Amino acid sequence: QQPSGSDIRTRSFICSSVFCLVLLTVALGAQALTPSHHLSLSDVERLKGLLSQPFTDLASAYYSIVGLSKLGAAVADENDACQFLKAQLDPMSVDSLFFAAEASQAIADCEVSISNETRDILLAAVSEDSTVTQIFRAVSALSSLGLPLASQEVVAALVARIAKEDNVLAITTALQTATRLSQQAELGGILEEIEDLAARLDDLGGVYLQFEEGLEATALFVTAAYTLSDHADTEPPLKEDQVIQLVNSVFSKKSWDSRSEAFSVACAAAALSSNRFHVPVIVSTQGPATVSHSQPILHLLVTDILSNPLASANLLVESAQAVASKSVVLSQAPFSLRDGIFELNFMASQPASGYYQFTVAVTGDSRLVANQVELKVKVSTEVAVTNMDLSVVDKDQSIGTKTSRVDYPFKAKGSFTADSHQNFAMNFQLVDANTGVELTPHQTFVRFHNQKTGQEVVFVAEPDSKNLYKFELDTAERKSEFDSMSGTYVLHLIVGDATLENPILWNVADVVLKFLDEEAPAAIQSKTLYMPKPDIQHLFREPEKKPPTVVSNTFTALVLSPFLLLLILWFKLGANISNFSLSPSSVLFHVGHACMLGLMYVYWTHLNMFQTLKYLAIIGSLTFLAGNRMLAQKAVKRYGQSSTLTFFTRRTCEN
Amino acid sequence: MSNSVISVISRFLEEYTTKTSNKLKVVDAYLFYILLTGALQFLYCLLVGTFPFNSFLAGFISCVGAFILGVCLRIQINPDNKGDFLSISQERAFADFLLAHTVLHLVVINFIG
Repeated sequence: QQPSGSDIRTRSFICSSVFCLVLLTVALGAQALTPSHHLSLSDVERLKGLLSQPFTDLASAYYSIVGLSKLGAAVADENDACQFLKAQLDPMSVDSLFFAAEASQAIADCEVSISNETRDILLAAVSEDSTVTQIFRAVSALSSLGLPLASQEVVAALVARIAKEDNVLAITTALQTATRLSQQAELGGILEEIEDLAARLDDLGGVYLQFEEGLEATALFVTAAYTLSDHADTEPPLKEDQVIQLVNSVFSKKSWDSRSEAFSVACAAAALSSNRFHVPVIVSTQGPATVSHSQPILHLLVTDILSNPLASANLLVESAQAVASKSVVLSQAPFSLRDGIFELNFMASQPASGYYQFTVAVTGDSRLVANQVELKVKVSTEVAVTNMDLSVVDKDQSIGTKTSRVDYPFKAKGSFTADSHQNFAMNFQLVDANTGVELTPHQTFVRFHNQKTGQEVVFVAEPDSKNLYKFELDTAERKSEFDSMSGTYVLHLIVGDATLENPILWNVADVVLKFLDEEAPAAIQSKTLYMPKPDIQHLFREPEKKPPTVVSNTFTALVLSPFLLLLILWFKLGANISNFSLSPSSVLFHVGHACMLGLMYVYWTHLNMFQTLKYLAIIGSLTFLAGNRMLAQKAVKRYGQSSTLTFFTRRTCEN
Repeated sequence: MSNSVISVISRFLEEYTTKTSNKLKVVDAYLFYILLTGALQFLYCLLVGTFPFNSFLAGFISCVGAFILGVCLRIQINPDNKGDFLSISQERAFADFLLAHTVLHLVVINFIG
């Protein structure tokens, strides 16, 4: 069926939007990535230490001997190791032959004896029916022992096995196998596997790139990819960012679980520091990245990932920009190399104190990866306090101010007195001791300390627009901070900043403060602040005041007394129950009614509404029925009487 | 002025004692009793205070409600008002009185606390 016009339009829209998204991602991700992990010298020592542990079987001997050789070190006793290899060798096993052959290659003057059978066994292992690992071990053993092998057959077997075993470790092992084959063989198909494997790597946050199979698989992949690329003289299809991310993944772990893991890391480190295509470079500072007048030189180290200094590298400052003012202080300045360390006299450019963002570039080798590095360098200086003037200013300015100048680090000779009518003022300037430029450090505090009570009050001195520091204490206004405690306060000036090499704590003067209302709260204020407070007793809700029992009793009797009156009145009126008929309905009615009244009492004392309604329904319906009967009977009787009466009256009247 | 008041009162009392039937006087005595009880409760509340308020309300409303129901009963059984209550016989009035009192007592006991 032909796609409709709207289908085509939707598809083209989706394609163009995906393309735009990809372009955007590429543009955003184009920031240079630098390695965040590498092997420092102590890490390399630790790695060597792990590999130098005594070995118990051929496999561990192989990892140790070959691993140490990759790091440029050797086993403790080479002769012993060689004897061990010869003793442990099992000439019938491909694995055993592989370990022994490879390890003996790493040791000088160590040869493993072979026989014709050895060759046959090894050649037999190279077939489509063996696993990739078997093929790899056989091919490596053959190559290490100097025996001939048919590269094309190996390639064919590998290609067949890769199709069957499609996992990361198998393909990596196939790549490793290809490095032992002749360069004339058809390695193109296997080289393509590098790119396919690289696509299987997991990107973690844009910083790490690793296989989900773990560190060992990633390290082995790196080794295999670069060894094969060197062997086939083809640049590996890995982008610069990918290489850095692989470096981060492989070298982020600084203590290794097993010898094989340490071995894989050692191989990867060796491959990345000495292959022909990509060499990641690490630029680090020697000590803190700080320069000052006393230490004007910035020292940088340029190494590979094994912390070996790079032989042919040149370091250049592309730009040095002040973080605060964004002005570029230095541009395209080279570092000079001295004893393997790169030096630059940054103070020669006379930078102001503060932080600088350096962009340095490493040149000299086309293989270098991540050769543009950003560093933050701090320029520190020393501060000097000048023009420190202390004065006591009268609020209404009737009396002239008394100003005295104090020089750092001396203390003012007399003490200054300020009461509620006066303000104590302090003016000073902070300048860079070396250049005379005015500074505004982060911390400029004025501290008052009462020696007797231990009170400490700290204020901040702020600079005005001309960078002159002013501090004024209004005694009346600030009395709450001093708790109105009059007395002698020792005055300190505190100046500090991250870029100052000489923070200042200067006892400037003694100030006597007099406050108006000397409440003299307990001078132990600050001490009682953290003592337990008095317990709060919980006050239960007090019951309401009840009247005395006598009153209640009296009124109870009073309220019940009208009942007596009622009985008396009824007696006087002649109310009686002589007409009480003892019919069953009447009895039942009265009993039922009495029960209902009783139920009311029981409701008051014991029951709730639901239960009462239940009982009331039962008793009430009985009472109702009985009462209905009774009243009907009464009504009949009454009508009977009245009709008889009317009958008699009529008869009498008629008569 | 006071003369006329006294004469009115004495005339009223005379008519009352002679004209009203005994049945009605019985009911009147009952009403008077209820009135006294309610008044005494109110006096207590004024003198001593309203604690506990719910009990006072229950008692007072009981008196008020009983008084009203008694008055209704008296009106309904008065033979002079027969013309207004043709469909309601005396027995029926009494039955209504009892039913209403049951409901009143239920509410009062619920509220008395």
